Amino acid sequence: MAAEIANPSVSIQDLSLNFGAVSVLQTLNLDVAEGEFIVLLGPSGCGKSTLLNCIAGLLDISEGRIFIKGKNVTWEEPKDRGIGMVFQSYALYPQMTVERNLSFGLRVAGLPKGEIAKRIARAAEILQIEPLLQRKPSALSGGQRQRVAIGRALVRDVDVFLFDEPLSNLDAKLRAELRVEIKLLHRKLQNTMIYVTHDQIEAMTLADRIAVMKGGVIQQLDAPQTIYNRPVNRFVAGFLGSPAMNFLKGQLEAGDAPMFKADGVSVPLGRYQFEGDNGHTAKPCVFGIRPEHIAFGEAASSMPFTAESTVEIVDPMGSDTLVWTKLGGQILSFRVEADKTLRNGDAIRIGLDPARASLFDDQTGNRL
Amino acid sequence: MVDIASLSTSPEALRRDGAGPSGPKPRHVLSRRNIFLYGTLVVVALYYLLPLYVMIVTSLKGMPEIRLGNIFSPPMEITFEPWVKAWATACTGLNCDGLSRGFWNSVRITVPSVILSIAIASVNGYALANWRFKGADSFFIILIVGAFIPYQVMIYPIVIILREIGIYGTLTGLVIVHSIFGMPILTLLFRNYFTSMPEELFRAARVDGAGFWGIYLRIMLPMSLPIFVVAIILQVTGIWNDFLFGVVYTRPDTYPMTVQLNNIVNSVQGVKEYNVNMAATILTGLVPLIVYFISGKLFVRGIAAGAVKG
Repeated sequence: MAAEIANPSVSIQDLSLNFGAVSVLQTLNLDVAEGEFIVLLGPSGCGKSTLLNCIAGLLDISEGRIFIKGKNVTWEEPKDRGIGMVFQSYALYPQMTVERNLSFGLRVAGLPKGEIAKRIARAAEILQIEPLLQRKPSALSGGQRQRVAIGRALVRDVDVFLFDEPLSNLDAKLRAELRVEIKLLHRKLQNTMIYVTHDQIEAMTLADRIAVMKGGVIQQLDAPQTIYNRPVNRFVAGFLGSPAMNFLKGQLEAGDAPMFKADGVSVPLGRYQFEGDNGHTAKPCVFGIRPEHIAFGEAASSMPFTAESTVEIVDPMGSDTLVWTKLGGQILSFRVEADKTLRNGDAIRIGLDPARASLFDDQTGNRL
Repeated sequence: MVDIASLSTSPEALRRDGAGPSGPKPRHVLSRRNIFLYGTLVVVALYYLLPLYVMIVTSLKGMPEIRLGNIFSPPMEITFEPWVKAWATACTGLNCDGLSRGFWNSVRITVPSVILSIAIASVNGYALANWRFKGADSFFIILIVGAFIPYQVMIYPIVIILREIGIYGTLTGLVIVHSIFGMPILTLLFRNYFTSMPEELFRAARVDGAGFWGIYLRIMLPMSLPIFVVAIILQVTGIWNDFLFGVVYTRPDTYPMTVQLNNIVNSVQGVKEYNVNMAATILTGLVPLIVYFISGKLFVRGIAAGAVKG
């Protein structure tokens, strides 16, 4: 867990949510700092959207408290929480023009006309949707719709923005564009943002901190690089990274010079940073190494561990190539530059540095 | 390299030659399938249209011509006398002002019943679909079960209730009865329609600060024109065609058109004026007929929209 945050913008304390007998969120704690961009990442059904809806006040929680800007909003209506929300399906009111969509919340709140016009003008300028103001949502493209949806949160002039998979309905190119725009928006506004996604690239690129969730529990909450390089358990290791991390099953040999042993493979773990004194207990474990951390050819020779193998399958991916091979009878993939020409059956030499690997307990899945 | 010469005999080349089928598949107008299909349709259409034809033809004949017995032959001498009589002077009991009285009674029954029942049912459906309050499911089931209880069971208890609150025999009483009996099916219709709307829209409106009525009036209502059209058609035709409640809960001077029609057609005194009876029947059926003609397409679309999700 990260250090205590002195003045959290959003603070969730011991939050639980049950639907009947099904427990969706279990005594969850999360502090979000002022102006922080936090991403809730996880597979579908992990409770990330549910958590966001709880923060928004759209779901009644079973236990715990929610603070926004130091105010206990646990029982407050969504409109009184000082939040703006952007939905996956945009959720624009189809019968209203863009302008009416943006002003709806303000009109409901009974703001004076001049103020409404001012706020719409500002939001439209920031999001560059001025030419669209008189159009109906049906006459907008997906990207424009999502921009309007962000605008609707923007005009509310709130402290906290909630994004519920806002880019999932867009095609890959637009998604990348809007991702950058959201990042720029965050830099400009400096608001607290909580962003739900199942897309690890969105999470890695946008987040100040990522909360990886599974089964209603936050598995790891940390900076993207830390989560990527030092995942706390096998689930986090496998969920982040594409192509996925390689896992080799084997045995941890304890002692002064700990080793990882599998069929015909023994990797010295001298350079590996164990958590606590895990290096002193022998047990079955899983050795995880990312495809880009495996060296090939010349570069392999200088690595602390090298092995001979043959190429099984070659997957060209454009920018680079993914090569599948076997190590100790277990499947392993690694990345090479696209200009390396490898064919099935080629004999190769690979190497790796255990310092960049992750070792997990075979039973609990926790990092060793 | 590819050998150019070998291409000329390849399947590729044959396909380009223009030999063999190309373009849309030819269809024969007089295929066996078409004869069966259109033949059946024509027969069925004739079967259903024949009574209407007989009614129109008969209503335009004078009594002497009807007595000849050629019910399918077109009128030799067209007369609108029966229509005028049916509307303005036909006698039922002591009143001799024709169907016009019943027509206006029916209008006075149908309009408020339709408005009242749809207004209540749409709010019911909206609350059931979007505000999942405690016991919503039980409430919904009870309402739906209500739709399966035969009317006959409830007739007498309702007579007593209306008598006790002092509106038995009035149009108000009948309007209330119609509104209540329309509730189960209409609520189901609206609930299903609102359930099929994206949930996120409702959530967005809540974040924007709109409450129960705000969301209903400003978000849901403008989006649900098709289902309102369906509900209006269902209710207008249902209430206009109603006979049972009309005859039980009103008095002769407040009888709806259907009851009056029955009294004209089934009167046992004097000569049977078939032409007047036919004209009266067509006049009574005209309102639902017009409603269907105007809104046929919308009706089908709305029914489909409401029925897809349950």
